[in-house]
Amino acid sequence: MKKVKLGKTYKLFVLPILICFFAFNTFPLINAVVYSLTDSRGFGDFNWVGFQNYFDMFKDSRILNSYLFTFKFAITATIIVNVISICLAVLLNSKIKGKSFFRGLYFLPNILGGLVVGYVFNFFFTFILPSFGKLIGNEFLSTSLLSNESTAWFAIIICTAWQAIAFNTIIYISGLQTIPGDVYEAAAIDGAGPWQKFWHISFPLIAPFFTINMVLCMKNFLMAFDQIVAMTGGGPNSSTESISYLIYKTGLSGSQFGYQCANSVIYFIVIVLISVFQMKFLNKREVQL
Amino acid sequence: MANLSLSHVNKVYDNGFEAVKDFNLEIEDKEFIIFVGPSGCGKSTTLRMIAGLEDISSGELKIDGKVMNDVEPKDRDIAMVFQNYALYPHMTVFDNMAFGLKLRKLPKEEIKEKVVHAAKILDLEHLLDRKPSALSGGQRQRVAMGRAIVRNPKVFLMDEPLSNLDAKLRVQMRQEISKLHRQLGTTIIYVTHDQTEAMTLGTRIVVMKDGVVQQIDTPYNLYNKPKNMFVAGFIGSPQMNLLDATCKVKDDEAYLEVGNNKINLPKEKSEKLIKENYADKKIVMGIRPEDIYDRESLESDVDKVMLHAKVSDMEMLGAETFLYFDINGNSITARVDPKTTIKTGDTAEIALDIHKIHLFDKETSKTIIN
Repeated sequence: MKKVKLGKTYKLFVLPILICFFAFNTFPLINAVVYSLTDSRGFGDFNWVGFQNYFDMFKDSRILNSYLFTFKFAITATIIVNVISICLAVLLNSKIKGKSFFRGLYFLPNILGGLVVGYVFNFFFTFILPSFGKLIGNEFLSTSLLSNESTAWFAIIICTAWQAIAFNTIIYISGLQTIPGDVYEAAAIDGAGPWQKFWHISFPLIAPFFTINMVLCMKNFLMAFDQIVAMTGGGPNSSTESISYLIYKTGLSGSQFGYQCANSVIYFIVIVLISVFQMKFLNKREVQL
Repeated sequence: MANLSLSHVNKVYDNGFEAVKDFNLEIEDKEFIIFVGPSGCGKSTTLRMIAGLEDISSGELKIDGKVMNDVEPKDRDIAMVFQNYALYPHMTVFDNMAFGLKLRKLPKEEIKEKVVHAAKILDLEHLLDRKPSALSGGQRQRVAMGRAIVRNPKVFLMDEPLSNLDAKLRVQMRQEISKLHRQLGTTIIYVTHDQTEAMTLGTRIVVMKDGVVQQIDTPYNLYNKPKNMFVAGFIGSPQMNLLDATCKVKDDEAYLEVGNNKINLPKEKSEKLIKENYADKKIVMGIRPEDIYDRESLESDVDKVMLHAKVSDMEMLGAETFLYFDINGNSITARVDPKTTIKTGDTAEIALDIHKIHLFDKETSKTIIN
């Protein structure tokens, strides 16, 4: 067999990824930074405006509202998803019948597209749930949750969580499986009940997995887009307008290309800072096994 | 400090596998009981049933007269040392040892006092702030012991606690466990597959095979008066030589035929064979390697049978030498003085001490006479 030099193999594997990463990630990012310094509408001529877009952003109430919504949404969804995922993972890691079947079942939402899930939930909240509400005579449920400014964001969270829990649960299950069984047995003999076993043994030992899930969840939810497109389109009355959705909507079809590029750049920095902060903070409580 | 009783205990798994069959044992206070046997013999399962980590399928477990079958592990007042130590990796040595006491809501001062006391016994005082990952195998093992000691339990259960240590450390820890038993005066049940550990530590040993107890006895009796061929072969290293033989009777005296060799027996063994009608029957003859002598180490007052055999191999271990002979297709081992002049390939004259011969029924494997 012909021997391939390590250098050649290395380049063969790394170069395509490097080129793609640069073409579809780094180049657009640089482009966005450049356009953020212009008054480009996304087409035609444009003028250099320096940092004016950045100054204007901080006075824009629509952007401020979208930040408030996005953070409220991301923090709530991250907490809900992680709490439910840990509970499910503990259940699916215990001695129950049909464990593999349930693990497969709970993973199912993860293989569906975000838009598809969004449209299904849109149908559910618009037609099925109100019909059910009317049937049981519940006034609150009789109208679509998506049509109400105060409930629409939570309906999106329900849809997002339903899908995100699948992947998070799998990560937590794999974390729980790294804990040797005899540690639990030692804890049982030491006098720990189920809750104490979870709180004193399982939870500290899955800390690295908790960090991964928290960072990924927060990052994903801060970039919420698919569900919002499919469920509310940012409404009612812009109450569910996430930053990503706002950038897309007003940047590409609202002639604010340069302005929203500035928004993208700031948002990119915000997400990086949050992720780094989370990693640093959560890493502190991780245990190297 | 406790008495423990297991009567007619069985363990049957959901798939129908019987791991432990009709286990009966009475353990007195302060005894050091060893469960020994080959892998899969049910010794760990029995220990785990005592700990409450496995359900007892049938039978009764009593600690200090109280039936414990359905009592939670934490309420049995036992402590267990696991094969892989099972330390809590995210806790310091102090917290590992204090965990059980904290769960029992003992005052902080008392917890500290107990942990420090146990650490002193085990020479762990300087390691109390370390995490298990920063400890050596021997130190981890001692922390696992410490975790058990601080609880001051009625019974200590140890599941092959030394099997992950290297040979030198194992000898050291064996002595420490023995010292600890004397110091604490607690009942200890110890599982091992290492017969040296079993023989050196135990006040009584339970030999198991395929879930069935083969013999429960003192180390001396197990070695010198095995109840069957399995115990005879399992206890002792190198193991007892077991040779197929035919019992012959002539002039009211029984003797053995091993291939072309005739082996005379002492009076009591001969009488036993005749009395139990073994004449012309196949039996198994057992003799320990140290009861076979070469010419140099043979003492004149030994009642012996002389045999000629070719040395197929030899192993010099320093304090002793093992000679491997071939007698009519049977391989036998002799433990002789390292100064022996016999070499591999020699045909040597060897002597069997006839008083030390053990006789076993070939069909039932049970001992006829030791």
